[in-house]
Amino acid sequence: MYNFNYYRPLSLEEAAQVLSAASDGKLMSGGMTLIPTLKQRLANPSDLVDLSEIADLSGIEAKGDTVVIGATTTHAEVADSEVVKSQIPALAALAESIGDPQVRNRGTIGGSIANNDPAADYPAGLLGLGATIKTDRRQIPADDFFTGMFETALEEGEIVTAVSVPIPKKAAYAKFPNPASRYAIVGVMVAQGPAGTRVAVTGAGPGVFRVAKMETALEKNFSANAIEGISVPAKGLNADMHASADYRAHLVGVMARRAVTAAG
Amino acid sequence: MNAHAPETAFTLNGRPVSVVAEPFARLANVLRDQLGAIGTKIGCDAGDCGACTVLLDGRQVCACLVPLAQAAGAEVRTVEGLAENGALSAVQAAFLAHGAAQCGICTPGMLMAASDLLQREPKPSEAAVKDALGGVLCRCTGYRKIIEAVMDAHRFAGTTAGDVCAAPAKGRAVGAAMVRADGLAKVTGTDLFGADAAPSDALWLRALRSPHARARFTLGDLEAVQRRHPGVEAILTAADVPGENSFGIYPDLKDQPVFAEGFVRYRGEVVLALVGERAAVEAVPFDDDLVTWQPEDPVMGVVAALRNGAPAIHGNRPDNVLAEGRLEKGDVESALASAEALAVDELATAYVEHAYIEPEAGYAQRIGPNGARIEVAASTQAPYLDRDEVARVLGIDKSAVRIVPTACGGGFGGKLDVSVQPLLAVAAWVLKRPVRCVYSRIESMAASTKRHPARIKASAAAGRDGLLTAIRLEADFDTGAYASWGPTVADRVPVHGSGPYFVPNVFVHSQAIYTNGTPSGAFRGFGVPQAAILQESLYDDLAAQVGLDPLEFRLRNALRPGQPTATGQVLEHSAGLAQCLEALQPHWRRLRGEAEDQNRIGNGRTRRGVGIGCMWYGCGNTSLPNPSTMRITLDRAGRLTFFNGAVDIGQGSTTVLLQICADALGLETSAFEMVLGDTDRTADAGKTSASRQTFVSGKAAYLAGRDLRAKLLRLANVGDTAEIDLQGGTLRIGDGAQATDIDLAALPVEEGGETVLSGTGTFDPPTTPLDEKGQGNPYATYGFAAQIADLEVDMELGTIHLRRFVAAHDLGKAINPSLVEGQIHGGIAQGIGLALMEEFLPGRTENLHDYLIPTIGDVPPIDIILVEDPEHLGPYGAKGIGEPALIATAPAIFGAIRHATGVKVRKVPLLPHRLLQALRSKP
Repeated sequence: MYNFNYYRPLSLEEAAQVLSAASDGKLMSGGMTLIPTLKQRLANPSDLVDLSEIADLSGIEAKGDTVVIGATTTHAEVADSEVVKSQIPALAALAESIGDPQVRNRGTIGGSIANNDPAADYPAGLLGLGATIKTDRRQIPADDFFTGMFETALEEGEIVTAVSVPIPKKAAYAKFPNPASRYAIVGVMVAQGPAGTRVAVTGAGPGVFRVAKMETALEKNFSANAIEGISVPAKGLNADMHASADYRAHLVGVMARRAVTAAG
Repeated sequence: MNAHAPETAFTLNGRPVSVVAEPFARLANVLRDQLGAIGTKIGCDAGDCGACTVLLDGRQVCACLVPLAQAAGAEVRTVEGLAENGALSAVQAAFLAHGAAQCGICTPGMLMAASDLLQREPKPSEAAVKDALGGVLCRCTGYRKIIEAVMDAHRFAGTTAGDVCAAPAKGRAVGAAMVRADGLAKVTGTDLFGADAAPSDALWLRALRSPHARARFTLGDLEAVQRRHPGVEAILTAADVPGENSFGIYPDLKDQPVFAEGFVRYRGEVVLALVGERAAVEAVPFDDDLVTWQPEDPVMGVVAALRNGAPAIHGNRPDNVLAEGRLEKGDVESALASAEALAVDELATAYVEHAYIEPEAGYAQRIGPNGARIEVAASTQAPYLDRDEVARVLGIDKSAVRIVPTACGGGFGGKLDVSVQPLLAVAAWVLKRPVRCVYSRIESMAASTKRHPARIKASAAAGRDGLLTAIRLEADFDTGAYASWGPTVADRVPVHGSGPYFVPNVFVHSQAIYTNGTPSGAFRGFGVPQAAILQESLYDDLAAQVGLDPLEFRLRNALRPGQPTATGQVLEHSAGLAQCLEALQPHWRRLRGEAEDQNRIGNGRTRRGVGIGCMWYGCGNTSLPNPSTMRITLDRAGRLTFFNGAVDIGQGSTTVLLQICADALGLETSAFEMVLGDTDRTADAGKTSASRQTFVSGKAAYLAGRDLRAKLLRLANVGDTAEIDLQGGTLRIGDGAQATDIDLAALPVEEGGETVLSGTGTFDPPTTPLDEKGQGNPYATYGFAAQIADLEVDMELGTIHLRRFVAAHDLGKAINPSLVEGQIHGGIAQGIGLALMEEFLPGRTENLHDYLIPTIGDVPPIDIILVEDPEHLGPYGAKGIGEPALIATAPAIFGAIRHATGVKVRKVPLLPHRLLQALRSKP
């Protein structure tokens, strides 16, 4: 890897300060994506700011009709959380489906959404549940946060601090995983609740997206049959050695129906 | 830089440690390089393989993805910390007892992942084990014994190594499921693999490889580059090779350069090597200062390579045909023309990567007076081939080369070719300094040989009576840029192409074709697994046409003792396919019945299918000599030493050969010390390939044991029934009052040493050359098998859920049933990968997340039936099992998919999107 300065601040303020002073600073928490990227010299930051030592960035609590999850909370903590399991079991199941235990023990929700890998699970989870992303500057609705492949609404030097997830009436996540990495070849979060009826798809396109036609149909009749004939066009979807665009388009339909059935 | 702490402290296995290192140094490297904790392995350095799994504050993590700074103040536990006060942890003991470690490279990671689980759930379910160990890849075991061991670990609390590793009683070693002789080192993390040891002053070698599949290139001003990078001691190129700048398996086909000379033929070919301090050689950018490229259009795939006017890959093969094989028996054309049942089809298969979890690694140094000799320690399957290659490349005598195999973290054929050996030898020879090298995962996958992609066409015919009458099979194999084992594939496929059946009329033509692809070499089965997929599929077609059940059809045609094979060889004994099929019959009827019932009442979203695949495989080289020699010595002090040159790559030959030679001599396995695979100390046992070590080296071990036994008995002038006992320097022969005590120290020593008696055994299996029609006796014996696959197809997704395998194998005699099961499990796992997952694409799948191999969740329960139809030539009736375990699996899977859905496979692997497409285009 290239050389860079490494910092491990103890407070958010210090982190923001270091980051703003850096010519090309990057944030890191679990490092599950960033470390392999650095190792292959696919990134060349001037400074690396490790958020993992900042105590108040981690943790899970129920707040009114939402569950608030700190940015450096690991996938394993979300998956094992009694709060998440009881209030939003679909989100706990989603976290449990990420990678392998080693990744779940290190990787964090903040890292996942800030990176916004087009095949990551959390973007579909948060968009599908209508979550709000909190940063050190503002609150951003998930609808506005995920802007494209590895792109988010985060500004230069802005740090994700937590996500606030409204507790849905029902929700489920269905995923067709890459058999090795467990990234989503296609993953669909379906939810009905305070944020409306939502169908959010990851893995299929350049970024997470909602399927309006399915949402309208489910609004009227929340059943797999209601979306039976609704498909997304293959044009513009991802294609690689694991799945063609056509196959991904097909998977969106199947996974959406399976998620609806699972949500009950 | 506020975090530039020179020192980081944490707790390692309960002991406080502190290291001076960059805060972003990764924990795996710090553990291995600075703290000497080499039990933690690095298989991919990218979080994909899990070999580096350790516990960080009690939870499993990949140490290769943890910056040192994040371990500050934490508790780190590695495999070295599992055994406490000399007692193994329960899970280590369970791994030994269950045979859960084969090569052992993944074992530390598996053990740590299991420890994470077991501290919270001492009696976990199978599902919990699969989840907890889901991030650690194993390429040898097929995971089943690992799952069993973890579930069973609670029964092993407080067990000592001595309890688990107790030697079988005297004379009872053969047939005993004894714990592998090298098992303790594997579960405690002390076994030394290629990357685990080197002289402390060794320089680091980094090979630079072509990013192009075909290109001309010009070297830059290398001296200038070296001057700009202090710490780089040398930049080696073809000009530095003292001897021949080429290597290759066949004496007349040394076509692969150690360093390319102005032209590269595949992506991954070595152009030059940087040697020096590790940090310095790693910091040199691989840019135009070193090499400038003129890429050319590569010739990819056999169709392109055989096209008229295709550029030649090698000047001496203008048609790009490296090698051909041919077999003609009877009159195939007439038989096909007059067929009552006729099946015609074709198949394409992909490159398959060996994906051993240990990347190629080793070191070399000059040894002996004046440094006149060279020693190369490396992970290998073929020390004597390595010796000859190194001698040739250095231009020195073979006797001046010593090869010391390290523990081998998986081979499967991929470590039969040299990799690091010539590079290290040249560097250490030229620089007169020790030099080490460890391939990165990407480098290993880009550079190493693969299973040959195949394009096969075939026709087969049978009579209405269900008897096979003919098969015609033509196979083109993509052998890539260099010969490697291409000719072996071309030779083996004709012999085996008609399957383990009596077929009166056979025509097979095979070709190994040069392309600009990655070199294809040896991979468990040498082309036979690819051909078997199509051949078995055609026989399923014929069975359906004549109205016979697939098992019944195979049983009717099974090759039986006394019937000639396609090469005209008559197997008089140990041809046990029929017994395998008969043993499977009750399972077959039950599972087929269950599947059909399930499909009748099901909703159609999933469909279940049950299929069968059969195989045979000749043990040893094809019509070529392949002797093995084993030696046992007894010295004045009563020390008994077994000199065994066969490399154990995880399959267990060290243990199997010990069992054989112990019983042949008449002493316990625990009586022996062992010297393994060092070309200075052991005789040539041949390479670990072609399922030959149990059969060939096992027979040599048997003969060595018998030889020494005869000499001992002669001392007391007693017959073969006498018992032998060895107590220190006293040898007791015979029983009670009849016993004779012999003081070994009083015997004359063999020339110059301490040895007073020795036994030697050499075995070379009898074969005859094949004539121009491929007729002859190419192998002394064959392994046979039949496997059932039971699975469900998700008709909406095209995915496969494997439910179960039932595997019946005729292996003559199971010397160690536990190791045999391990081979079958592992072979089936690789067969699953071949059938459903694995497709190497040069430049695109050179890692273990884009290249898919079976994980712990992908291998279903496997029921094993051992058929022991003794092979009279083999030791105690034994023959090989290594490759037979794999070959039947893919055909059984495809038979089951056809049973479930009617879809026939034409492109392998049958990935979900391919199966879905086939389901949709089905008439």
